[in-house]
Amino acid sequence: MSSLADRLRGIVSPGAGSRPELHATAAPAILSGDAAADLLGGEWRSARNHRYLVVDRSYTPGHRHGEVSIADGLPPAEGWPQLSLLGGSSTGRDLLFVDLETTGLAGGAGTYAFLVGCAWFEGGRFRVRQFFLSSFAAERALLEEVSEVAGRAATVVTYNGKTFDLPLIETRYTVNRVHTPFAEMPHIDMLHPARRLWRRQEETSRDDEVLASGCRLGTLEQVLLGFEREGDVPGFEIPARYFRYVHSGDARPLGAVLEHNRLDLLSLAMLTARAAQLLDEGAAGAATAREAFGLGRVYERAGMTAAAAACFSRAADMGPTVRAEALRASAALLRRARRYEEAAEAWRRLLEVPACPPGIVREATEALAVHHEHRLRNLLLARSFALRSLQVDGGATRRYAAEHRLARLDRKLADAPRSGGPLF
Amino acid sequence: MLPEKSTEASLLPERFDPTSRPPLQKGGDQALDGVLDRLTGGALERPDRPDAWVTAVRRLPARAAQFGPEVSGIDERLRAVLRDRGIGQLYSHQSLAIEHALARRNVVVTTPTASGKTLCYNAPVLSSVLRDPSTRALYLFPTKALAQDQLAELHELSDQLSRRSELEIGVFTYDGDTPQDARRAIRGRAHVVLSNPDMVHSGILPHHPRWAKLFENLQYIVIDELHAYRGVFGSHLTNVLRRLRRICRHYGSTPRFICSSATIANPRELAEALVEEPFELVEESGAPRGEKWFLLVNPPVVNEQLGIRRSYLAETRRVAAEFLKRKLQLIVFAQSRLATEILTTYLKDDFEGPPGTRDQIRGYRGGYLPQRRREIEKGLREGSVRAVVSTSALELGIDIGALDACVMAGYPGTIAATWQRAGRAGRRTGRSAAVLVASSAPLDQFVVRNPSYFFDAPPEHALINPDNLHILVDHVKCAAFELPFTTSEQYGRVDVQDVLGVLEENGFLHRTVGEGGEDGIWQWTNESYPADAVSLRSVSSDNFVVVDTTEGADVIGETSFTSGPSTLHEKAIYLVEGVLFQVERLDFEGRKAYVRRIDCDYFTDAITYTKVKILDTFASNDGGVRLKPDTTSVSDVHDESRVVSGFSRTASHGEVHVSSRVVGFKKIKFYTNENVGSGELDLPEQQMHTTAYWLSVPRDVMVALPFASDDRRDGVVGLSFAMRQVAQLLLMCDRQDIGISLGNDDQGERVDLVRMGEPVTLSDEPRIFIYDNYPGGIGFSEPLFAMDDELRRRTQELIAGCACEHGCPTCVGPIGNTGPLAKTVALRILDLLAAGAGESQA
Repeated sequence: MSSLADRLRGIVSPGAGSRPELHATAAPAILSGDAAADLLGGEWRSARNHRYLVVDRSYTPGHRHGEVSIADGLPPAEGWPQLSLLGGSSTGRDLLFVDLETTGLAGGAGTYAFLVGCAWFEGGRFRVRQFFLSSFAAERALLEEVSEVAGRAATVVTYNGKTFDLPLIETRYTVNRVHTPFAEMPHIDMLHPARRLWRRQEETSRDDEVLASGCRLGTLEQVLLGFEREGDVPGFEIPARYFRYVHSGDARPLGAVLEHNRLDLLSLAMLTARAAQLLDEGAAGAATAREAFGLGRVYERAGMTAAAAACFSRAADMGPTVRAEALRASAALLRRARRYEEAAEAWRRLLEVPACPPGIVREATEALAVHHEHRLRNLLLARSFALRSLQVDGGATRRYAAEHRLARLDRKLADAPRSGGPLF
Repeated sequence: MLPEKSTEASLLPERFDPTSRPPLQKGGDQALDGVLDRLTGGALERPDRPDAWVTAVRRLPARAAQFGPEVSGIDERLRAVLRDRGIGQLYSHQSLAIEHALARRNVVVTTPTASGKTLCYNAPVLSSVLRDPSTRALYLFPTKALAQDQLAELHELSDQLSRRSELEIGVFTYDGDTPQDARRAIRGRAHVVLSNPDMVHSGILPHHPRWAKLFENLQYIVIDELHAYRGVFGSHLTNVLRRLRRICRHYGSTPRFICSSATIANPRELAEALVEEPFELVEESGAPRGEKWFLLVNPPVVNEQLGIRRSYLAETRRVAAEFLKRKLQLIVFAQSRLATEILTTYLKDDFEGPPGTRDQIRGYRGGYLPQRRREIEKGLREGSVRAVVSTSALELGIDIGALDACVMAGYPGTIAATWQRAGRAGRRTGRSAAVLVASSAPLDQFVVRNPSYFFDAPPEHALINPDNLHILVDHVKCAAFELPFTTSEQYGRVDVQDVLGVLEENGFLHRTVGEGGEDGIWQWTNESYPADAVSLRSVSSDNFVVVDTTEGADVIGETSFTSGPSTLHEKAIYLVEGVLFQVERLDFEGRKAYVRRIDCDYFTDAITYTKVKILDTFASNDGGVRLKPDTTSVSDVHDESRVVSGFSRTASHGEVHVSSRVVGFKKIKFYTNENVGSGELDLPEQQMHTTAYWLSVPRDVMVALPFASDDRRDGVVGLSFAMRQVAQLLLMCDRQDIGISLGNDDQGERVDLVRMGEPVTLSDEPRIFIYDNYPGGIGFSEPLFAMDDELRRRTQELIAGCACEHGCPTCVGPIGNTGPLAKTVALRILDLLAAGAGESQA
């Protein structure tokens, strides 16, 4: 050992002994490259002098995924055009589901997608094709085949792909100086509609915490699809398993990683199907008040006011869970549509909701005060709503505004003491 | 966008605008003459007088502009825009530099402050963009503030060009302050990206695929203030540039470099060392210059016996006041943050007048929040700030306009830095002055007593050591993350394949064997993002923030990790523009210091305890006969204790372990500098491996000294004090670049060269260590070892030539710290060493 190497060891791993652990150089048969294909159930593909592994799976209509089966999720012949509500220009046909397993979460040129999982519906089945990067040198060839698969599809569907999967794979394409197929494709990132449709009330709305909380794909598949995973690999363990394979050639721990990826793709496809069916059926299709409410938000964003109003109204009728929020959304929607009487009705119903959050109570009383003062000219009722809004603690600015309104109402009432209704 | 005036000022920094500057030019000259008369007693033309108050007066005559030939490569549209801005002709250095750059030769331009250097790079870059809009350029500035400063000017130029060319030239800064949502747009639209090495290192290179368009078309890399990249920072920059050029090769571009530097002795060498490519040098400035006076001032001796001079801070205050009284705009440079605060307080006190007067005198240093700094810079440009007291923070090219005078409290440590600071005063026409006030530090005394050393010697060399293994390994990791190394790839001057092998052992990389005759590759197999763990500026990327809890909790400043313990320990006095705060609690883990405003008449000075241990000896000399070991087996010359006979092996250099800890502090009264108390502290130790030079004083020499053991110790302490100063002079480095320590045998320890409660006992074979103050060493120890003879001879001259009786801060340290016989004993040790060397040679 040269002294340079020893000094380097002192710098790279201070405190460690000078004798490093040696890696197995002569790998036993099970660790040799060829074994990976059998272990992982795939086939070697050779291109550009390098080889990578392709693992194909096909799921029949009868395949169960929790409480649903593939047949429940198969798209109709014309596809799901209503998905365009979720992803810009998507036609809702020829969807390609994509999910990556990577060597880290940090991003940057040194983070690799060692597994590119692709899936699509074809001939009444759900097909999964996974591209496994068994040697880094094969990355370019692998990506070129991913491009072929992507080229046959019209829309890419991911879960959190907007911030993670797609930028990462686009970086891989750039590093390999291959044109990325995903740049111009319509993209539906199911994370965002899923949050709108299925996030529970108690969950935080902060973006970075969403994945860590209940809007993880794993949680949604439990709640919505009734699917429980057994022996699943925790996400944080995945890079280490891959690095172990790279250093030792032992592919055994990767079987579970590939299965994890396939289950993610299945859940993603089934969730997408559920969302598409919901969008098709409208308010009547919602299974829970929360889902109805979420669907209303999706329609509202898409500018479909009537459908949104129907959803909010159904959500309010379905039970107490989101009644306050639904009525509030409903009222705001109606007010924007200048349907003031109906809006006021929604606000009034809101005030009857037991244990209504104070913020919403204040909003409702303020809105009703405005409605009565300026539209109905019922100053006394306006005054009572203004008084009520003052009872809700809302910080100095709010308080000041409420006091201001009250003072003005009192002035007006003093000018027209006997008038309870319109003057003219 | 900055107002018209300031952008003009940065392009033509000395264009004089009488409406915005209170003193009219003529009046300004007269006022300046008045100050010069008063400081020199009217005798401006006279020989140097080393013992006088003003030891030297130099007049640097005004110089007319030198114009260069037309450069045909400059785009016609740019030429027209420049004409509109009043630039009809280029100065000689500008046309030469532009010519080189357009011919795709690397060029380094050294010109004084305010000579229109920005055009040297803006002209070729903008011309190339106009000719081929796919062209991209990357500008690197040592600080974010400098990039912001340049952005305003470039915007102005590119806007005017856009109007003539229908080409939208994108100019953007890209640094830690750039909002996330703006970054994508910048990557797509920027022709010119203004950034800093830190951002390139951690934000751009690791994400190079996103910057593919930039790297594919990168034609020019501009490095401004090249001289700032010395030592550690320079060694890091070389590695960042190695990585940058590696990425450019991947994308098929070969950028050329345009660098600008202040005057240093080896600009071309430095540029070539940093970039590792050949360079053309342009060093004759063609810019006009007004007359400038340069004075060296030595505070008078107030106590002959103790060699004590009047405080240089008080002297600086006196000189500064002369300029201020005559309403001349002034910058005062101080050596430390503390001195800056003290001088700011003094000057504010002196000019206490109608309300608002105090606000015309400002302090300025790193650690102030950016908003406060911008406000002060603006005040200087507009004239509402009459005087600023600054650390080196204003030495670099931040646009503060041209001032009337510059007073330096203490020698900045290098000739280059002194000229750079002096350049802050000076106008294109009309007179300016620079005054250097020496402290009693040996280097200062040497400079003011030998003016020709300063005025006539070449400025210093900038040294870097890009192959420092600590630095190299960090950057090899980053490079491997960015793009896999091949098994035949080279990087730097060490065998990078060895480095990669060790990284593989530790799981960072995996080596893939190439197929079909191809090279194999080294793949990054780690989840981390390695650039996050590497800071280009210091050992640790951490810093301490200072929280004022007087009313609520406001962050009022920040301090680097290394200087945190010594400035923010509990009970430390922390100053911001003359306002005093006391540290109530230091949250070391949380990197926060909680302070509260306080009214007191003292400041604090920390006492640091340092210990050095020898790990490996690279070479030793044997009484003048140098034993140079075979470089491949450095560990052979290891056993230092096997001294055969006589005074063999007196000097060595090698690898050492340094640990230091702040153990206490002193309270020092303002104005009188009386020590009015002290305290003990218990703070975590800081450790590093570095390289060191050391001098062993052999047992025979110690035994031969006819003095008591305490006096012998004082002599060694005094000798180390003097050697440090001479080493700094010989190495031409900054004070904080080297550290010293005393030791017994192979252990060195030091209590800040001040006797604490218990005296340091030295063995009968002590050692003096001078170490590189950076992990892994930065390349000072070996040159110092090579200059060992000169180091001892000059130290002897310094001590023997000093007029004091028993030692003073100029030679072996103040008598109160080193004892009455330190000077005598130190000289005796040097004599014996010299005699021993002579004997063994004979």
